[in-house]
Amino acid sequence: MKKRRLLSTIGILGLLTAVLFTGCSSQPSITEGGQLELFLGYSSDPPTKKKMEEIIAKFQTSHPNIKIKTETAPYEDFYQKLTTQIAAGTAPDIWQSDGTKVFGFAQRGAIRDITDYVTKEINKDEVNGLEFNKDADGKYWGVPQGIQVGALFYNKDLFDKAGVSYPTADWTWDDLKAAAAKLTLDANGQNADDPAFDKNSVKQFGFTFFGSSRGAFNILKAYGGGVLDPTMTKSIIDSPENKKAVEWMADGMKRRLFPNPADLKAFQSNFKVFLSGASAMQIDIYAATTAMNGAELNYDVAPLPKGPDGKRFAPVIANSWVINKKANEQKVRAAQEWITYWTTSDEAQVEWTQVGEAIPVKKSVANSDKFLTNNTKPENKKVFLDSLAFAGTIDTNAVFAEWVKVFTDNLSELFMDKYGVEEYIAKTDQGIQKVLDDFFKK
Amino acid sequence: MQRRFPLSKIAGYLFVIISSLIMFVPFLTTIFNSLKTYKQYMQFPPEWLPDPVKWSNYTQVWEQANFSSYTMNSVIVAVLSVVGTLLSSSMVAFAFARLRFPFRDTLFMIVLGTMMIPGIVTIIPQFIIFKNLGLLDSLAPLWILEWLGQPFAIFLMRQAFLSIPKDYEEAAKLDGCNPLQIYWKVFLPMCKPSLATLAVFTFMGKWNEILAPIIYLISEEHFTLPIGILSLRGQYKTDDQLLVAGALISLIPILIVFLFAEKYFVEGSKTSGLK
Repeated sequence: MKKRRLLSTIGILGLLTAVLFTGCSSQPSITEGGQLELFLGYSSDPPTKKKMEEIIAKFQTSHPNIKIKTETAPYEDFYQKLTTQIAAGTAPDIWQSDGTKVFGFAQRGAIRDITDYVTKEINKDEVNGLEFNKDADGKYWGVPQGIQVGALFYNKDLFDKAGVSYPTADWTWDDLKAAAAKLTLDANGQNADDPAFDKNSVKQFGFTFFGSSRGAFNILKAYGGGVLDPTMTKSIIDSPENKKAVEWMADGMKRRLFPNPADLKAFQSNFKVFLSGASAMQIDIYAATTAMNGAELNYDVAPLPKGPDGKRFAPVIANSWVINKKANEQKVRAAQEWITYWTTSDEAQVEWTQVGEAIPVKKSVANSDKFLTNNTKPENKKVFLDSLAFAGTIDTNAVFAEWVKVFTDNLSELFMDKYGVEEYIAKTDQGIQKVLDDFFKK
Repeated sequence: MQRRFPLSKIAGYLFVIISSLIMFVPFLTTIFNSLKTYKQYMQFPPEWLPDPVKWSNYTQVWEQANFSSYTMNSVIVAVLSVVGTLLSSSMVAFAFARLRFPFRDTLFMIVLGTMMIPGIVTIIPQFIIFKNLGLLDSLAPLWILEWLGQPFAIFLMRQAFLSIPKDYEEAAKLDGCNPLQIYWKVFLPMCKPSLATLAVFTFMGKWNEILAPIIYLISEEHFTLPIGILSLRGQYKTDDQLLVAGALISLIPILIVFLFAEKYFVEGSKTSGLK
């Protein structure tokens, strides 16, 4: 009896296995209806996924010869999956790449050089940010899907309460620090300029910065310094300009005007300091507005301050469409049709603008009410467009994530008083150069 | 006269009550967090009680994370994995514990040695194997390996089998049982607590598994629950309160499995049949 039960269990499992195995074969590139199937990948969350599906449906209506099959996952998972697929040769024909990863894909041979297509078919005067995907040899590797530019976000309620006037386009980083001192409060409500200010019980910080696009990199640039040279293969950390900028940051940390790495950890998420109203200012990119609006903050934006010599810098990340190097010519053509549709049609651009996650790549839409609407915060959205005039990439190259790690880890140790500015500069210069040499010289 | 509540007993109860409260508070906080608005969730210092209480988080996460369609896939993967692990690993473990064959212990050491290889290292080779088998974008890669024996499960079951006195094996042999019958009729029923533990571990592991489904699945019709819940994460904004609500809902099946298996944990001693 028992034996029969065991046999029948095994039988059922065998059947189940057979059922699950069917329908697993790989998809042909031409569908039954004679359409070309384009495999497209993008990272998403529920609102962006919904919007992307709508745009894809519209594209398919106007391009009946192409059927798009999608692959999507949240940001980190998407790239984990993509890395495996690239290794196994099953990556999508076209995908939306984070702007900081484009050159990494290019230099590892995963994506196609699309210089010909970009120069012949995309009008540079109509599209924002094309140059951000051009490498030192003048080759284009992607076409922007959405643009992120950094600006100074400030909490209007905290400024009003402290009686400090809002940041202006004329601010220097020293002006920011002076305001931050008035906006940094201890548990008794004394600000950092007050002799009775208690450094050990800070309840509200003046200014928050962390990471790369939201962090120290921007201050170095405004001071005339930087991290990599134009070839992106040599560290330029060891410079007097950088030293001045790092001293400016270290001083602010010592005076407790800025949350240090330990303070940031206490908030569970770096973003929570500003979002919870515990910081008056923060460097952030346009995409941050979705979280700030969700948290119902009363905030606005101003351009990032000028350096001591009047130099300005805003970080830019051009998230871009890139084409798989292994895609065949038919698919490449279809992928290019998608990119052209995305960048030039008002339909796609206006729809994507509604998600509120990126500055539209089509200039006419970016300069219209569709983007500059007053229905959502921040009021001064034009700051983002104006900042494009002095925006630059955050030295993205094939080993971007690796050098940023050295840069920010060492900075954390400096801010936690493990060593001084000089040692930081020497250690970071050496560390970053090693990362660069390990990749470019081998 | 003896006191009805000796001091030591009262102290014992107090200790148990306080420790269970300490254990319960984080769970309660999770429940409260799942009922907050995004604005309240972002507040610092955090408020404990949700205000207003947002029950709609649960309906929202149910729809957005596609619970109704992804649950079935998760059940298929978890159940097939549990059955596969219990059958294949206990069979291998029985051989390692009770059968004599050349290089038995060396082979066992090799099996244990595979536990030292970090899973992340084998992802790409495994992916390529499943690609060549034509199994990408199906549920098979998520459970099929469980049918080929799992090192930890083999180790656990081998230990359980080793603890059974040899007398049972001999008695069964005298009654005419072959090794397969000894395994199936004598040893397996006596190792129910170990099997139950293994079932709970495997179920939990597979129910919450994230990496493999993300790597192997493309079509939404095959997605499992953790992907549904994690798809709520955004690059720039994540509704954490919804993630928490989703995690709480997905906890229910694990609780059910645990409650079901619990009785085996306390069930009788294995040596009770010996004189």
